[in-house]
Amino acid sequence: MVRGGSVMLLLASLGRSQSAPVVSGSMVIDTDAVHPGSMAKIAVVAEVAPGYHINDHVPTLDYLIPTELKLDASPPLEPGTAAYPKGTARKFQFMEQPISVYEGKLVVGESLKIAAYAKPGVYQLKGNLDYQACNDHACLAPAKLPVSLAIKVVSRSEKLKPSHSDVFSTLKLN
Amino acid sequence: MTQRIKIVLGAVLAVVLGVGLYFLNARWIAPATVHRVKAAGKHPAAPDFSLTDINGAKLALADYRGKVVLLDFWATWCGPCRIEIPEFVQMQQKYRDQGFAVLGVAMQDTPDSVSKFYQQFRLNYPVAMGNSQLAALYGGIFGLPTSFLIGRDGHIYSQHSGTTGPDVFEEEVRQLLAGKPGEEVTGFSPAGQVEEIEVGTPGEANADVPGVDVSKLTTAQLAAFEKQLDANPCTCGGCKFTLLQCRRQDATCPVSKKLAREMLQKFQDSKTIAATAPKT
Repeated sequence: MVRGGSVMLLLASLGRSQSAPVVSGSMVIDTDAVHPGSMAKIAVVAEVAPGYHINDHVPTLDYLIPTELKLDASPPLEPGTAAYPKGTARKFQFMEQPISVYEGKLVVGESLKIAAYAKPGVYQLKGNLDYQACNDHACLAPAKLPVSLAIKVVSRSEKLKPSHSDVFSTLKLN
Repeated sequence: MTQRIKIVLGAVLAVVLGVGLYFLNARWIAPATVHRVKAAGKHPAAPDFSLTDINGAKLALADYRGKVVLLDFWATWCGPCRIEIPEFVQMQQKYRDQGFAVLGVAMQDTPDSVSKFYQQFRLNYPVAMGNSQLAALYGGIFGLPTSFLIGRDGHIYSQHSGTTGPDVFEEEVRQLLAGKPGEEVTGFSPAGQVEEIEVGTPGEANADVPGVDVSKLTTAQLAAFEKQLDANPCTCGGCKFTLLQCRRQDATCPVSKKLAREMLQKFQDSKTIAATAPKT
């Protein structure tokens, strides 16, 4: 309910409405399909808007809201434990000490187990990347980046092709 | 003669530098934090609210009529908010006897975290848990901290979004304290930029379609209107929400608010309303 120039000034100040998400991105998998009883790697490749940061998965201070990937269990797909990148130590006007944050590109990886009973077909994997963004003088409410991926299960006789090697070649999972 | 020229040139340079710095500050530095103030005579009335503070006491804005109020929307997880709190504690201590009060509204937080913070930082003013309806009443809260300065007449004189220096608050508070209860402070001079403030109405502060007054719709009409909103995308750029999702998940989005209001107007004018209206 703020009009015209006020909106522009405020958005310029606080960056944006949350409808234009501070964090955008998608989920990818390391092969074009998966076999029953195998393990795959998935990753959420996200981008934090310029001027903003989100908190490290292990925040420097206990009151900060951590970045967290939460994938829904969706049999026969069984997500593992997420592996987060190391944050960057940054000093902000509102902090006396540097805090560890994510800025720019962010890749959160996770292993994915495909149950041995999985029948060939397409299965949806869904979840959210939970985050809370701030810039140097204001914070936005905690938000979620919804992510989803259609995962194709094929018979063991079918050959798989690697995909998104640019993401997975350097990704280390726990 | 040469010395004179040097002095004149130096003076000209100083003036140019001063003007340059002024414009640099006005255009690039000052807007880093937004301060919004209504033009004299048009200060909107601060929307009334009644909450229960974290100590269990009633916190109603009406009880502060006649006082100057700094209404602070904040959160314990918000670093820029936390840095302002000790300043508010000091201001409360300094100006309380002159009729000044700080009221805190914690947004998207937990009572436990707020209570712990309250004790740890020895807050000397009431703090209550906020909600989306209250945020909508105050024009939607784009980010935290967001503070409103309310005069003794119960009207909002300024809004500060983002970390704001105590000098700005103090300058404005002193001016408002000089006002008389029930009277507008006509000579109010903002410490920040002069901008317009617009608050919401109780009808717009609803959970069905936040920011859009659907109070005149029947239950069936509301369901039909929500269906329409849910069938249209929000064109804010990149959110992938429908208009209904956008209103509910981000009440601060001006794009979906405008579109939803336009759609409501059309809806009310359309045959849909006639078809779903109760027969009299």
